Amino acid sequence: MSAPGTWASGIREALRHPFWQAVALLLGAYLLFEFGIALVPPLVGIKSAPIPASVLVQYMLTAVVGILLYVSDQEERWRRFKEPIRAALVDPNKRWIRAALLIVVPISAGFVTYRQVRPSVGAGAQLRSIHPAPPSTISFRGRTMTLAGLENLLRRSGDSAQHLATGRRVYYANCLPCHGDLLDGRGQYAHAFNPAPLSFADNGTIAQLTESYVFWRIAKGGRGLPREGTPWNSAMPAWEEFLTEDEIWSVIVFLYQHTGWKPRTWDEEGGGGAP
Amino acid sequence: MTDLFPLLQAVADTAGAYGRFPVIGSRAAVWIAAEVHLMFAAFVLGVPMFAVITEAIGIFGKDDKYDRLAKEFTRLLVVAYSATAIWGAVLTFFLTTLYPRFWSHLARLFGLSMWIYVGLFFIESFTLYLYYYGWDRWQTGRAKYGHWTLGLLLNVWGTAVMFIANGWLTYMMSPPAGMTAETLPESVGLWNALANATWMPINIHRLIANAVFGGSIVAAYAAYRFLAAKSAEERAHYDWMGYVGNFVAISIFIVLPFAGYYLGREIYQYNQQLGITMMGGFMSWLWILQAFLIGILFLVSNYYLWIGMGRIPGAERFMPYTKWMLVILVLGVIVWATPHTMIANRRELEEMGGSHHPFLGVLGVMSAKNTAVNLMILTTFLSFLLYRRANKRPTAAWARAGTIVQGLSFGAATAVVLFFGVYGYFVSAIVRIGFSVYQVLAVLATIVVVVVLDILMLRGAQSRGAIRWGQMPERSQYALFLLAVTFTWLMGLMGFARSGIRQHWHVFEVIRDTSPDAVTPALGSAAIMISACVLIFLGLVSFIFWLSELGQKSSPGREVAELAAAAPPPPSGSGPSPAPLLGGD
Amino acid sequence: MWRTNLKIAALVLGVVGLFTLVANSIPQLESDVPQALDLSGDLSPAALVAAGERIYGGAGGCATCHGLGTRAPNLFSGEGGQGAIGARCGGRKPGMSCKDYLFESLTEPGAFVVPGYQPIMPDLRRTLPADQIWAVVAYLESLGGSVDVVAEDVRAAQATAPPAPPAPPAGGATQSLDPREILAANACVGCHALGGTGGAVGPPFDGIGRRLGPDQIREAILNPAATTSAGYEQMAGVMPATFGQQLTAAQLEALVTFLASQR
Repeated sequence: MSAPGTWASGIREALRHPFWQAVALLLGAYLLFEFGIALVPPLVGIKSAPIPASVLVQYMLTAVVGILLYVSDQEERWRRFKEPIRAALVDPNKRWIRAALLIVVPISAGFVTYRQVRPSVGAGAQLRSIHPAPPSTISFRGRTMTLAGLENLLRRSGDSAQHLATGRRVYYANCLPCHGDLLDGRGQYAHAFNPAPLSFADNGTIAQLTESYVFWRIAKGGRGLPREGTPWNSAMPAWEEFLTEDEIWSVIVFLYQHTGWKPRTWDEEGGGGAP
Repeated sequence: MTDLFPLLQAVADTAGAYGRFPVIGSRAAVWIAAEVHLMFAAFVLGVPMFAVITEAIGIFGKDDKYDRLAKEFTRLLVVAYSATAIWGAVLTFFLTTLYPRFWSHLARLFGLSMWIYVGLFFIESFTLYLYYYGWDRWQTGRAKYGHWTLGLLLNVWGTAVMFIANGWLTYMMSPPAGMTAETLPESVGLWNALANATWMPINIHRLIANAVFGGSIVAAYAAYRFLAAKSAEERAHYDWMGYVGNFVAISIFIVLPFAGYYLGREIYQYNQQLGITMMGGFMSWLWILQAFLIGILFLVSNYYLWIGMGRIPGAERFMPYTKWMLVILVLGVIVWATPHTMIANRRELEEMGGSHHPFLGVLGVMSAKNTAVNLMILTTFLSFLLYRRANKRPTAAWARAGTIVQGLSFGAATAVVLFFGVYGYFVSAIVRIGFSVYQVLAVLATIVVVVVLDILMLRGAQSRGAIRWGQMPERSQYALFLLAVTFTWLMGLMGFARSGIRQHWHVFEVIRDTSPDAVTPALGSAAIMISACVLIFLGLVSFIFWLSELGQKSSPGREVAELAAAAPPPPSGSGPSPAPLLGGD
Repeated sequence: MWRTNLKIAALVLGVVGLFTLVANSIPQLESDVPQALDLSGDLSPAALVAAGERIYGGAGGCATCHGLGTRAPNLFSGEGGQGAIGARCGGRKPGMSCKDYLFESLTEPGAFVVPGYQPIMPDLRRTLPADQIWAVVAYLESLGGSVDVVAEDVRAAQATAPPAPPAPPAGGATQSLDPREILAANACVGCHALGGTGGAVGPPFDGIGRRLGPDQIREAILNPAATTSAGYEQMAGVMPATFGQQLTAAQLEALVTFLASQR
């Protein structure tokens, strides 16, 4: 209690005890998930952000399970882990701790419940499936197109520099306000939208898709999204009403060229199966 | 006219096509009947597989306790078998009364195979009765080999029966190409419809999964008997049985993801839309849930092994390492279950700049997940190895070198897995898919090399003391229950995935589901159905196990004698084990 | 032993409950069935109107002419202050209610042609079943007027003979084999210019024989979606695919020969 030395050694002593180890691990995991993920990568120049509450809960659940397995996988450790809990519950000289627990536990349970049922004005958490299943065929201006195996014919015919130039023009004329100068989904108007416009620079959007899929999304827009993933609320216009087929294909050429991603190709197999 | 006409047609088709089931509705009724039937079927197909293997170990290793174990498996089988048949009948009656028109389509197409199915089922039952009731009679000499052949035949019939039924249900998912609503069922050809695109992948997947499932249920049975045991011998026996069941379940489980991967590929190849619905569409969250469940399986099965080390003399020297293996497993689960598209509210979305996390986003793609799974498999394998090694002191001259080689191959596999995991971020999607094959091959090669070395190295090894079977804390047995429940639930979930990707089709893009239940339910309501099926199944199974125990008790003295024979030998012998991997000595 | 049994039951229920809870705690996505158009039961007017709107823009092909160019009256706009079609239909033909007038113009388009327009509209009974025609009537009424199509109309339409149109005389509004008359009667020149006059929605007929052979012309008439002329991609799909039913075989061949000779 007096000198710093005894404090340090006291903590070291406590950390040899499984119970306090578990507490420390739990605390450490929480700090890592809540703040570490958001704050550490930027120190070495990697972009990061706080993780959503849903993911935090999931990670903490995993951590709790792991810690419980740790304290109980050896008989001796398990026995020592239970000691302080048992002591707090039955030892006569721990009456005050017991009383404190009796007050703290119900209050925290009540607090958690309160937080969950409290009405709030914000829009609730929502899940969007970025890649809903496409239909097998779409009708593009009255013409039926089969999406499976559909390829960007501009890649095989005509002047590719020309297509790129057309695509660039189309992009800057139509897509720029939302999807932005850097194709990162941060155009001037982007902040007004929920869901936000997609970032093409992200490794999870066009980088994962075939060009026919991208064509479908551009042509049909937010209205053309399948019902399976509602609510969509996407403000993306159906560009088939404004652009010709070749214009859409050339803007796709531009998107891939500019981001450096390669479209997923149609070969004998599709994407990943169940791991 | 284009899209309207078929829709109107569908409406017209509804009349007289569906029956009604009170309260829960037709779909729920058929769902429960099919799922519970399937769980029982998986059990009665899985258990014979290792009953036969265990009997063979008993015959060739001349170790009677394996023979007793095999017989005990088979005893569970006899009662479970009739439950399977009853639920199969329930399913058939539900289908004929609730989905008459769809059933008549299937009957027109598959009639002949249905008769063959019944015939095989009949033969299978009598093979099973001969196998079980002839056990004591054909116990010695040539007769014993004949008996073993019966067991083998039992497996052959069972597998054939399953293949036929798989043909029916895979037809619903992937009917022969070119089939349309107007195609007459008779014109398709039976073999053409049976041997459809996803038939073989499902056959293989189910064959493996059945063995896993059988093992986990047997382990749960043993756990129950362990907890109920009154004597030390009994406890020792059931501890050992639980270990064997769990060993079979987990070691076969390790190859299951590859079979699943094969199935997924075939689905994509058959129809891209079906594949995307499965992986990226409304079911994408199902795979996060699956990752969570499999994570639990990995964690708990390792945990069971680590607790088990407490009863092995000499295991103390490995115990400090278990916590690091735990760290790898927990990290693996975290990576695997990290969703790519995160559930987030408005503010969180803004902070992340989209629904992909800028930093964790890299964990959400296939490369990271494959890497995590492969490392988890390696870790689990290492746990088994340490467990097996614990009470042995190798005497071979090259033991040290052998251990180093084993360590090196572990290191090499880890390096390969990590290399391709990281490199996968720098290549296109198509190339990346190929990488998972290299990762898998590296892991499998390591497993083979290490096991072979281990068997050779530990030949004639000294013992550090016999395993104290029966000296297991109770929580290890609850871990076995947890594994069995999780396996069962996972099976229900995967069943939903397989069946649900057809969406509003009875037969994909051939026969529409025009019933009021055509909507494919969300994960939450599917989970409630799965839980109901799991509870019904487990309830019935406990009853069946209780029955088989009841039958045993009615012949006093017999069980005690059996147990005396079945208990592991006293801690003296440490000769070469007949089942090197089962670690039974 | 009861303690153990209870513990096991609690474990099983707990684990199953946890899985169910996790599965229910994520936002729930259902896969809906694509909506079927069911005109058989008792339909609310709103449902009829919705169905009619789909047919108007889709299977009916109405938007091909109505609303594009000046070939047919614009049904949405006022047409000189009379209001949209739902508002003006009642006064179009003396003594005829809005409902009857609309039904007549869909099924017997030649009976009354709005002054200033050509009699080019096809009989919709050839392409739509009667109940769907009623849905279109309901939709049109809803454009500025009130819907008085009732379920009885639909049911009566379904009851009276299957969709069989009373064997309409093929050839559009004419039986003639004179290619120019066929072109006029089927409103081809509304979109395709001939002799320098006509619409610019599709490629001109002038010089078509130089660009296409007879087979290609025939295909373009029967299946307009098969190919689209360069420069007209924007208009792809506008041309109705109904001419195969509208023309007699002799008319079609006369037309093809005539067009192929336009060099």
